[in-house]
Amino acid sequence: MSQLTTNRRNFLKISGIAGGGLLVGFNLYGNTLNSSPTLNETEINAYILIHSDGSVTIKAKNPDIGQGVNTSLPMIVAEELDIPWEQVKVEQAVLDRRFGAQFTGGSTGVKTNFDNLRKAGAAVREVLVKAAAQMWSIDPSDCRTENGKVISSKGQVHYGQLAEAASQLEPSETPALKDPDTYNIIGTSRQDVDLEKMVTGQPLYGLDQEVEGMVYATVLKPEVFGSKLSGFDAAAAHELEGIIDVFKIPAMDSPVDRVDGVAIVADKLWTCFKAKKLIKADWEKPKDYINSNNKLKSDFQKGLKAPGEVLRHDGDVDSEFAKNENQIEATYDVPFVSHSQMEPMNFIADVRGDKAILTGPTQTPGSAARYASGITGIPIENIEVHFTRIGGGFGRRLSNDYANEAVFISHKLKRPVKLVWDRENDFLQDYYRPSGCYHLKAAMDDKRVTAMDIKICTTSRYLYRGATPAHGTEAFPDQQPAGMVPNFRIAYTPLLTNIPVGALRTPGVNATTFAYQCFLDELAEKAGMDPIDFQLEMIGQEEREMPYNDHGGPTYNTRRLRGVIDLVRDKSNWGRTNTAQGFAAQMVFGTYVACIVDAVQVKGKVKIDKVNIAVDCGRVINPIGADAQVQGGVTDAISAALYESLELRNGSPVAQNFDKYEKLRMKDSPDVDVHFVKSQEAPQGLGEPSYPILFPALVNAVYKATGKRVRELPLKKHNLV
Amino acid sequence: MTSYQISINGSIRSVEAEEDTPMLWILRDELKLKGTKFGCGIGQCGACTIHLNGRAIRSCQIPVSAIGNQKVTTIEGLSSGKLHPVQEAWVDENVPQCGYCQSGQIMTAAALLSQNPRPSVNQIDQAMSGNICRCGTYPRIKKAIATAITKGGSR
Repeated sequence: MSQLTTNRRNFLKISGIAGGGLLVGFNLYGNTLNSSPTLNETEINAYILIHSDGSVTIKAKNPDIGQGVNTSLPMIVAEELDIPWEQVKVEQAVLDRRFGAQFTGGSTGVKTNFDNLRKAGAAVREVLVKAAAQMWSIDPSDCRTENGKVISSKGQVHYGQLAEAASQLEPSETPALKDPDTYNIIGTSRQDVDLEKMVTGQPLYGLDQEVEGMVYATVLKPEVFGSKLSGFDAAAAHELEGIIDVFKIPAMDSPVDRVDGVAIVADKLWTCFKAKKLIKADWEKPKDYINSNNKLKSDFQKGLKAPGEVLRHDGDVDSEFAKNENQIEATYDVPFVSHSQMEPMNFIADVRGDKAILTGPTQTPGSAARYASGITGIPIENIEVHFTRIGGGFGRRLSNDYANEAVFISHKLKRPVKLVWDRENDFLQDYYRPSGCYHLKAAMDDKRVTAMDIKICTTSRYLYRGATPAHGTEAFPDQQPAGMVPNFRIAYTPLLTNIPVGALRTPGVNATTFAYQCFLDELAEKAGMDPIDFQLEMIGQEEREMPYNDHGGPTYNTRRLRGVIDLVRDKSNWGRTNTAQGFAAQMVFGTYVACIVDAVQVKGKVKIDKVNIAVDCGRVINPIGADAQVQGGVTDAISAALYESLELRNGSPVAQNFDKYEKLRMKDSPDVDVHFVKSQEAPQGLGEPSYPILFPALVNAVYKATGKRVRELPLKKHNLV
Repeated sequence: MTSYQISINGSIRSVEAEEDTPMLWILRDELKLKGTKFGCGIGQCGACTIHLNGRAIRSCQIPVSAIGNQKVTTIEGLSSGKLHPVQEAWVDENVPQCGYCQSGQIMTAAALLSQNPRPSVNQIDQAMSGNICRCGTYPRIKKAIATAITKGGSR
């Protein structure tokens, strides 16, 4: 252990480690330390550790759900630190507010951490150089760094040898950053740091964790969403050997935090699952629950008849429609879609009176801790969260309802509990992608769109959780083609139902993109134009900054949008193949995407031959990871577009496992060719942008292949797959 | 509760369990071999794939009482020391994203190639289509299997 030299309001804290190393802790809240500050190797906010042998440990500070941040974020630090990537060991961080925000969502990981991680790496490199310069009695400007060494005319010394001396120095708040032209790591393809562990079945996931003395639990939830538990009979369940307890888990105030259910606790998980089947529970269905998809449809139709809240109105849409009879309209429907993350929900809570240790897969560990504090009364400083690699998030694990269940059970039983849901419960308790209905009408003046009127009604996730405004991202006013049509209006009406809804990969936009970009294809046809030429006309030749009031904004650039469109048109041999091709393009969250799907018709069914997608996300950190993200988003969307929807019978999901909820299988998965625009612009996110754009590109290709305009997803509904 | 002696990855292991306990939970909870994953519990997703006498089966669908003398191989026992050619191919092609389904994918692919070292594209698709990948790594799985075949993917 070693003392810090001074108290200071610095975003980094540096200290020595026993054995002669250097440890860097983040301090992003600018806290001063208490009077006897010590940092040691086990300090949980230790972010970078430089060991005396020169090896470097960098902590992975955000949950990795497969988007690759365990690799890409440390790559950024290593670049500025100027160490060889091969010398870096990455370890999972735990929750610590001094790290700043540690969550995964909104495609923000790389984008929001790019600057502060570069600063951290650079600041540490500078103190190492200073230490070497002092040792050699020369000026730091006479030194340079390379491959983890400081070099000067006096010789060379590796960072490990300097670590102890450097730990006494103060890091700069404004270190000099590397010239991107000299990058050795950022922009180069690097294997995922967990790759070998994943292919050899190492216990990386929440479901794989165990804690001493733990018991197992599972939950029974109602068949009709939002039902209240009125009573249960667990006599048969109690007969099973190893059963510990069966009791009610009460709902919390908001259904997004926890809903009513029955907890089943036993010494083995298999026993919990068997016991669950033996419980007879009585549920009170919510008033006006949605009992069928037809009921939902008729509710949407009512919703669309209402004037709705006007979110944007450019020009005068009604006047234009009054004087221009050349009109076209269409209504698009999207279903509820399940997150279907492969690792079932699970969480370990160990609530011990005055402290709690939480372990498991969550996209929002800070929020899990806050909720646990509320449920148990334990002060948040006494709650530890060990978040694990996650077997798929897609937005489902932004909600900590399952963690709240585990905490409740552990708090009640006063022992550590590992909660695991079965897959069926996942379908009964998902926060589905909202269902919606989109009515679009346009007026055309020969080849130009002179007016567009959009009315949207969805089962808003904001309304469901009682947040305002109710439209949130459901009807984002700046989404293309807003700003490209002189008379343009969007009106929104939310629909509250008992069906739980939440954020799923590009919330709101994953549905509007389907409606808008399919409609543009219909308009192009009406104008007698090639769909790509039609959109390029709408976007305009002149480079403009289009307002975009969301993250990834405040504007987007039409030259960059045209750039991805030109690239994908070129790469897909547009118009010169013997396949049916469909196109769509837009900017979302800072990243520009353009997608062309090649489809063929085989015996009346549609088969996707290939997908080409062009992406401009600014600077790419790890090409392997970036490629994977885009391929993954497209493939995920293909599954949803072909097969996925929540079908209800008497208010319950018909599909409660993968036998009835079809997912894309390898035999139907096409090649996806990804083309990146080489860019020096600030890096933008890739977790989401490739997902929404596939839907219209595919449906537009289906039209070319079959002559059918699909306006309701999934394609399975129309006997096309 | 009954006692069982089961051959797992070349060693005999003893377990005490209810006879209807699926091998999935014997492996994960009794023997602490966490590589075999739980995804659906009804044999539809393939995450729980193991080898029984070298053939791929879904361990959530076979109770411990049905194993008898058959040899069980899990992802942990697919290779000893260095990586199995299929695992090597998975590394070469950077297949996983979240990685959760990949033990099952690898076990299915390894069993396929040990029975049929030069499968057609169609045979690969059919064999692998019992394994769901939610992250969409199918394009890279196909590439990895092709790589494994050219390197002689069985052992």
